Amino acid sequence: MLFKEDEVARADAMAVRKDTGWFRWTHDTVEVKGPDATGLLDRLLVNTVAACPVGRERYTTMLNEDGLIIDDLMAMHLDEDHWWLSTLYGPHMVRWIDAHKGDADVTYEDITPSVDMYSVQGPTSGEVMDAVCADPVSGLRRFELARTKVAERDVLVDRGGFTGELGFEVYCSRADSDAVAAALRATGKRELQTLEVYVRSLPIEKGMALRQDYHLLTPFEANLGWSVHFDKKGDFVGREALEASHAAGERRAFVGVEIERESYEDIAQNEIVYKRGVPVGRCRQMIYGYTVDKNIGFAIVDREKCPLGTRVTIGTNDSPAVIVEPTWC
Amino acid sequence: MALREHVEACRGVETPFGKIIPEKEAYSYCLRTIAAFSANIFQVMRLLNDDWEDRTASITEIANMMNCAACAGGEGQLREYLDQFYDDWNIPELVDREAWIGAIWGDYGDEAEDMAGRVIQFTKNRVEKELDTCPWDIVGSEMCNMTTGMFTANFDIAAGDKPGAITNDVQLNMCEARGCGDRHCRVVAERLDHYGLERQGWLDHRGPSHDPVHNTPEERCVRHAQGIRNGQYTQTFGEENSLEWQYNWVAQMGWVWSISFPLIAIRDMADDDETFERFLQIVFATAGKNSFIDPFAREGLRAWLDVPREIGDNDPRLMGAYIAAVMGCQLVPFEWEAFDKDGVTIKVSTDDFNGRFPMAPLDEITMGYEAHWNGAVKTLVSPEWSVWIDGKDDEFQYINVGRKIDPRML
Repeated sequence: MLFKEDEVARADAMAVRKDTGWFRWTHDTVEVKGPDATGLLDRLLVNTVAACPVGRERYTTMLNEDGLIIDDLMAMHLDEDHWWLSTLYGPHMVRWIDAHKGDADVTYEDITPSVDMYSVQGPTSGEVMDAVCADPVSGLRRFELARTKVAERDVLVDRGGFTGELGFEVYCSRADSDAVAAALRATGKRELQTLEVYVRSLPIEKGMALRQDYHLLTPFEANLGWSVHFDKKGDFVGREALEASHAAGERRAFVGVEIERESYEDIAQNEIVYKRGVPVGRCRQMIYGYTVDKNIGFAIVDREKCPLGTRVTIGTNDSPAVIVEPTWC
Repeated sequence: MALREHVEACRGVETPFGKIIPEKEAYSYCLRTIAAFSANIFQVMRLLNDDWEDRTASITEIANMMNCAACAGGEGQLREYLDQFYDDWNIPELVDREAWIGAIWGDYGDEAEDMAGRVIQFTKNRVEKELDTCPWDIVGSEMCNMTTGMFTANFDIAAGDKPGAITNDVQLNMCEARGCGDRHCRVVAERLDHYGLERQGWLDHRGPSHDPVHNTPEERCVRHAQGIRNGQYTQTFGEENSLEWQYNWVAQMGWVWSISFPLIAIRDMADDDETFERFLQIVFATAGKNSFIDPFAREGLRAWLDVPREIGDNDPRLMGAYIAAVMGCQLVPFEWEAFDKDGVTIKVSTDDFNGRFPMAPLDEITMGYEAHWNGAVKTLVSPEWSVWIDGKDDEFQYINVGRKIDPRML
């Protein structure tokens, strides 16, 4: 929970928006290898993973058989037949592969305990990264991967992040983590202190959600229809149900909400959204956005009943709010 | 539009007269009955030990030790236990999860116990949790210190830089406590190294926050936790617990932390078991008598259970229905053996009645409720009636409401 008077959180947010901030950002990493790795992942994941060249990564959702989102992740194509899946739900991913691999010739493992990751984000992050890496990386294209060294340790760098700013992610072995962190600290750039700033506040301002926000929506309801390519790939888990629900038309909408009170202490995740006293949906995360200076968040609402601009109340204290586009800056 | 075929099923606890106590109300009442039992036990403690510091330190130490013991084992076992916890709750590595497992754990426990509130701050060095309600706010200040000391263990098992080892790297303070009259409970965990703090003793858990706190305005406080408000608890990382899961969990665990753990120390405060049991029976009997001393309490109970007017004031079924409502809301299964104007008999498995959490059965539940209900029947029905429990050492117990002359009534 963030409040506008929190100056530490504000300084964290502004470092990323105006300069560069860095933080430990270790995701669960599931390694998938083998001759059938690409084919298997293309069947498990919605986006056109098979078309992702080596040295690049692709954002994608993963669906259950009902065509509903059960994860969203980055699929990193490290080498021929060699992938890393960067997710927040590694053990779940392993169990999902267990259940769906069939006869595929693959090996897979949750390698999270041996991998660490730091995120370096902000408009000046390219210069910072060039200074700290053995090779220049500021020229990487979005979602491009490069191997280099930091503090003489082997690292994998990707150009990406979760703040909506120019940014990079630095993967290293857990054994090298302290050395990499020390190198980043030596740049003099701000190490972010407030978890909710980089997990929620900065991303939500830019319309970036977590899987828990999208959970059990269809990609189309989640505004992720751009990542679905029925015409460019074969079957994938959940495809048939997704095609059917999309043809029938989406019933729910993933929207933004702006709270019109000073703060939002009475609004938990999943708090009920009311229109004229009648439930029309559920909140997702509320947060204070230091760039936009508003209490903002996501909600899943009845698409027909809640067009943009609809005035609603949230929770048992009838907090007034308005439905808006789910992106703020 | 076609009519519905039938009325939708309503979940709840049914009284003998067909009234349904709705599930959320039953859940709320269950919590309060456990808290009331705990309050009585703490009165026993105060009679046995008149030194606040001594008794508070004793129960805090034992509660902390028992909580640590729940996670005891070798490094591998603890590692496995934590990994399972992280997996169950979808807690990602990026949050420095080992640092704040206590906060994550505490939040879902609070929410299950309808301690409604919010995590104000969740950072690498500090967690602040603010609560607007607490069903246990009648128990007293010893409990506020004890629970905070006890839950320090939840940080200790993983907060340190030695994975798998139980360390002590945070101060955990209940800076404000509703049980002491504050508007909020406020629990703050702060890292010793970051704030330059000392390790705490057993009585040090009501200290101040070392950073400023955030005080939620009264108009934005909540009256119930997420389960009762929204039908489920959703934790920070999106994992959900259903209302049903929470209800069942607290109907077991509420007895453990608030009664079973402190009882170990409280029993030791008595010179012998007989003294402890005598005090316990006196306290519970008095509490029972006072339950229905007010005429509006009796009328309120009749309305709550929907007791028909054909059942008069001097009828044992009043007491039987009350006992059944308590047990039903506490999720204890039972059978009716008799329910008429001559008396009531309720059959209950001893394992179910005393072993709410199967690994920590409490004989004191039988002892306490027998005294409590025997006191209550005197004012709810009349002194002509008594409550006693047969078969306490058997597989099944029989809770009786019957006429009994007791020349040495408590």
